[in-house]
This record gives sequence, structure tokens and C-alpha cells, in this order.
Amino acid sequence: MYQASPVLRFAEDQLQVAALLFMAAVYIIKIGWILKFPAGRDRQPTTAGPHTNARKGAWHSLLNIALPWEMASTRQHPWFYVQFVIFHLGVAASIAMSFLIPYGPELIAGKVAVLGLQGLFAAAFVVGVLRMIRRISDPYIRAISSPDDYFSLGLLIIWLGFSFLAAPNNRQASEPPLMAYFFLTAFFLVYVPFSKISHYIYYPFARWYLGKTLGYRGVYPVRRGA
Amino acid sequence: MARTRSYKAQKFIEGFQKKVNRQAMLSLAACVHCGLCTDQCHYVLTNPDDPTYAPAYKGDLIRKLFKAHMDWTGGAIPWWVGARSVYTDQDLEELKDTVFGKCTNCRRCSLNCPMGVDLASFNRMARGLLVSVGVMPEGVAVVAKDQWEIGNQMGVLPEDYLGTLQWMEEELQSEYNDPSIKIPVDKMDCEVVYTINPREVKYDPRTIAEAAAIFHFAGENWTMPSEGWDQTNFGLFDGNDELGGAVARRVYEAVRALRGKRLVISECGHGYRSTRCEGPNWAKMDIDFEMESSVITMLRYIKEGRIKVDKTKNSDPVTYHDSCNSARSCGLFEEPRELLNLVCTDFREMYPNRAENYCCTGGGGAMSMTEYAPRRLKSAKVKADQLKATGAKIVVTSCHNCVDGLFDLIRHYKLDMQVKQLVNLVANALVVPVKPTEAKPLAGYKILVIDDEADVRIYLGKIFKDQGCTVVDAPDAHQGMRAIEQEKPDLITLDLVLPKRTGEKLYWDLRKDPQYADLPVVVVSGYTRIDSPKIDFHGFIAEKNIPQPDGFLEKPVDVDKLLETVTRVLAEKSKVKH
Repeated sequence: MYQASPVLRFAEDQLQVAALLFMAAVYIIKIGWILKFPAGRDRQPTTAGPHTNARKGAWHSLLNIALPWEMASTRQHPWFYVQFVIFHLGVAASIAMSFLIPYGPELIAGKVAVLGLQGLFAAAFVVGVLRMIRRISDPYIRAISSPDDYFSLGLLIIWLGFSFLAAPNNRQASEPPLMAYFFLTAFFLVYVPFSKISHYIYYPFARWYLGKTLGYRGVYPVRRGA
Repeated sequence: MARTRSYKAQKFIEGFQKKVNRQAMLSLAACVHCGLCTDQCHYVLTNPDDPTYAPAYKGDLIRKLFKAHMDWTGGAIPWWVGARSVYTDQDLEELKDTVFGKCTNCRRCSLNCPMGVDLASFNRMARGLLVSVGVMPEGVAVVAKDQWEIGNQMGVLPEDYLGTLQWMEEELQSEYNDPSIKIPVDKMDCEVVYTINPREVKYDPRTIAEAAAIFHFAGENWTMPSEGWDQTNFGLFDGNDELGGAVARRVYEAVRALRGKRLVISECGHGYRSTRCEGPNWAKMDIDFEMESSVITMLRYIKEGRIKVDKTKNSDPVTYHDSCNSARSCGLFEEPRELLNLVCTDFREMYPNRAENYCCTGGGGAMSMTEYAPRRLKSAKVKADQLKATGAKIVVTSCHNCVDGLFDLIRHYKLDMQVKQLVNLVANALVVPVKPTEAKPLAGYKILVIDDEADVRIYLGKIFKDQGCTVVDAPDAHQGMRAIEQEKPDLITLDLVLPKRTGEKLYWDLRKDPQYADLPVVVVSGYTRIDSPKIDFHGFIAEKNIPQPDGFLEKPVDVDKLLETVTRVLAEKSKVKH
């Protein structure tokens, strides 16, 4: 029976665990940092009508990302929203795969699962490339882009590319891509807390507070004319 | 070697580090530079080749400071994440140009950010920090100074304020012919304490009168305070929470001092937001009375039947502009529409509307920053197109800043449109209740005035008609006698000096005629023995041995004496009803 190389075994197991622990530690510190800032509060009586309140507003805000019709910005750019969904599903699937390959390979051993994953990674890869082209060519986006923006996006594009190659989990034929995938994943986990990719830590907090305020004031859920 | 920092820049950074709260920190940290906010800003839509107007770009100017001074990666490798501090006064000036001159804090981008980044909030914070080191547009400095020193943002002096209220009260009394209409000042224990925007005193006092008329006809127990009447708050625009707190506190304390039950805030977007939604936070006060927009008050009056309106009086097509401050920041969306549908016949929405409406471009204190007027008017193209598409003749808004901003852009883009507020439309549609006529003391009686002078006949006739009488008159004794026979008056006023046949002769004829012997006669004559030596009425009475007339008045007539005499005589004859 084929035995994976010790390097691959290390990369997919101990290295991942260490990277995850590091990331978790940094995230805990980061959440503590967020909570260290005093939260502003609304002292005035509410202006919300019977249709809403602070809690409803907060939940609406949190779920906003799944309600593309709620914001003019997503409603007017449906293709952009579709790209967003594909890209984030690809990233989420790749993270899941980094657990499944070492600890539950049978779950993604079937041809359909592999093809499904590869299709998703390919689509996400293409979206990533399109986003990179947009970041470079659109003067508005270029003007707000930092090296971290380019690097983070580039990192994810490459990582999604290796995710595509690693998805079959064919150790005999494709150990190098698997190894690259796991090393990249570990790097990704360590780098994320210091980069813009950590936005998903801020997301629930930012949206919760905005939604709470706007719900209390009767603005969320957004009402608009026909 | 570390770069040195100017004194102002150093103070700015120190203030920044103290000022960032959790919500601001999250907004500063969460932006992923996706650019979805870009085309949601009216500045971007009208400056398509200038990325410095993009909300994310504008936010980044402040975000760079956050990364440089409060974020780990920014502290370690600033160039990697675009962290950058401010060092010189020129840096602060450049920041001023953006936070004051390229953003009206309308919050439209905030509602369109998938991450929940609230640019408007931290842009205001940056304004406040700049103001704290004296960096601000001149107009902002002037207005803020007036509000600190004089107590209102337009420097209206107490005597001008009170004088304007007095003037409007007199206008109303004259317009409705009703001296009971008052604009009460500092009345205690009222249901409503009404505050306004100083612009109303200075440029648009008619809105005060219209609101007063609505309160009056609604039968409201209301007052205006002599102090703390300015609900506007430049602290919202200059980002200075201290000013915001001081101004809001002044209003709240005025309501408390008058023991008012409800504070009604006139139609002013930023005044409503500042007083209703932000003031308690800035002033750190818990409010123990109700606060509401006058839009809600007017709507309630109609719903409760306290005022009646006739919507056909406002028949021109009307559209509504949502003020960013009262709508996107305080949720006042539906009440203005409900009210509009009650007071005008042709209300049509503009698109987009409500929370997605575009700024009037005069918000965020922009009207006071004349140096940015060309930018403002250029960005107003978006609004102008929105207005034009409605085909309306009137754009209604519940905000004085919006009134000015819209007025400016309508003139600039040559739109055939007027700007009005809801109070204008409601007042115009008011159905004024007809006052029950006062019981007139001489109603139902007929008086015959016999006098050869037409002026006197008209004069006396008017006096009697005002008392509810029917009046007939005659210029001489013959016509007088005919009128007596035909009209059967209840009383006669009789001049003695008449052509052909004198009044005393007529009097004698009446007294000797049993049919008219009891007919009341009040002699109203200007004769003197010198002017009319042939007439000696008292001697005549004595000679003929006939009763004295029921009254005797000399010209010129004293009206009170005349009415008193006539009323008494009629009462004595048991004909006066009361």
C-alpha cells in the first residue's frame, strides 16, 4: 500500500493543527482587542415603529449578505454578487477540504464529489483572476488597493489553484500539489489574522452594531418604494 | 529617524486614539476594498474620472491613521497595509478638503456596504478632530461660534426672535380675523413645546405662522420657549460632541423648565436627528418627555380629527425628498408620505426613495461651506435628474437644509419646480372652522333712521346692522312716515332738522296717532338754538303736552351711548330678547 511521504503527513496534520492553533490564538486576542474599545450606545427613546427594533435590525444586518435584493449596491450588480458567492464558497470548500483529506478522505473520495469540488475551485479561481484584473485595471479599485490587497487575493488565487489539483487526493500521482496545498493552507492560516482576509472576524461585529443602531432607529430592515 | 509632527497633527492623533469607539473601530478595520460602495455616492456619479470621491477612498484617508496608530500590522509594516499618519498642517488641510468638502455624511454608502462600514459616522468623527485643532471651513467656524455664543446657529438675537413671533401672531390674527390666535411664549405646563430652526426666523417666518395656525385650529395647548428654541445643532456637522451636547441640553432644559409634556421639532432634518436621536447621547441625558417631528404631530391631528384638510387645495403634482438625517438616520419614512396623501391630490414618488434616496447635496453643513459650492452643485446633477423624472411641480421635504440645497440646484439646473415643506401644504389645505356667530344684542329688530344727511344715515345704519338689526332709512319726514307705515319699525331715530316738515312735527303726528303713540323714538339731532332758532323741541313738547321721546342724543353721536339708549328703549318696550 502506498505510504504518503513524512513531509506530506506532517503538512496535512501537525502543521495544520499548529497553524490552526496559532490562528485561533491570534483571533482570540483580536476579539479581545475589539471588545476593549468602548461600545457607543443609543440613549434616546427608540424611533422604530412596530415593525422593527434593535434586535431585528441586528439580525437583518447580519443576514444582509444573503439578501442581495436588500442593497442597491448588490441589486444593481448581480454578476458581482454571484462572483462573491462563488469565490467565498470556493474558499470555504477549500478550508473544509484541508480537514477532510487527512481526517475523512472517504467523504470526498467519490468521482462526483471530486468533480464538484474541482468545478467550484475552478470557478472560484476564475473569479479570483477576474477580481485581480479588476483591482489592477479599475482606477477606483486601484486607488484604494494596498500591497496586502493584491497579495491576499493572489495568495487565494494560487491556493484555489492548488486546491483544484489537490481535490482528487491522489497521493501516488499528485503528492507535490497536495503538499503545496497543505503548506499554502498553513501559511494562509498564519497570515490571515494579519491581513484583510481576517475581515470575517470583523463582519459579525460590524454588521451587528450597525444593524442594532439602525433597527433601533427604524431604518433596518430597509424600506423602499416599489 | 522618526518624522517630526506638527503640534496640530500631534493633537489630532492623540484625539483620534481617544475618540475611536467600538463601532468606529469596526468600520475602520472591516473594509475589504471591494468597491461596492463606489457608485452609491452622488459625488462619484458626477465625477466619474476622479477616484478620490469614492467612499472607500475617502474612508481610507482616515483608515490609514487607524492602521498606523492602532492596528498591529500597520504598526509593524505600514506600507504593506497602506497605513499612513499625518505629520504636517498641510496633511490636516488635505484631510479637511475630503471630510468636509467631498462627503455630506448622507450615509447612503453605509447602507450599501456589505461589511457594514459606516463611513458617515467616522467621517463625522474626523471632522470633530479637525475642528478640535482649528482646521475647518470658515463657514463652519462662524456657524459653530454663533451657536456656542448666541445660542442659535444664525446668530438671531432674542429681541428679533420674540419680535418675529409677535409679528407672525399679528399676521395670523389679521389673516383669520381672529384675535384669539396666539403664539404663546414660555407658557407653563403645556402639552407641546415647539422648537424651530433659526432659518425660519430669519428667512422663512411664514412656516412659524403656519405651524401656529395648525396648533391653534387643533386646539393644542402649546408654547414656544424664549430660550433653547433652536433645535438645530451644528455639532452634528462639525463633529464636535461637546457643542452637540451643549445645544441639545439647552433645548431639553427649556422643555423641562416649562414643564412641557412633549417636544415637537419643526421640519428640519438635522434638527430632528440631533434633538431626537443624537442629542441625549451627546448631552448624556435621559429624556423624560416625549419628542416627535411636527410631521408626526400634524398627521396625528388629522387622524384624530382635530384639524380638517381639503386636499384639493393642493392640486399641483408633488414629489417628496427624504432628508438623509431624518430618514436614513432616524427612520422617518412613512409618516411624511401618509401626510402628503392626505393633503395633496397628486403625490408621486421619486426614485430611488426612502433609505435609498440621494442626498439633496446641501446636507452635512455643505450650505455653510461656500468654498465647496461648485462641487456641491456639480454633484447635484444626480438629484436634479431624479426630480426632473417625476414631472412634479413641487418638491416637498421635511428639512430646511434640503430646502436650501434643493432650491439652489433647481435654480442651477433650471428646473420648473418649487420647494415646499409639509407645513406649507397642511396649512394651505386647512379647512378653517367657521366660528359660531356671537349672539347680536339687537338681532331681529327693525330700526328706521330718519335723517336728511346721507352720511349720518349710512353711519347709523352700519352701527345698527353690526348689532344685528334690520335698518331702513328715510331722508325726510314724508318718506319717514311712509316707511313707518310700510316697514313697521320697532324703533325710530329721528333728526329734528329736516327739509319741508321738521322732525318735531313728525314726532307730534306720531304721538297723537294711537297706532304709533307707543312707537319708540330716539331723537338724534345736532340742532342748536343758534343754528335753528325756529326749533325749540323742549318748548314744543311742553306746549303740545305730549310725552318726552324715549331718548335724546346730540350729534356727534357717541356710539356707546346710542347703543345703550336704543337697547334700553327696546328692552323697556319688552321687545329685547335678552
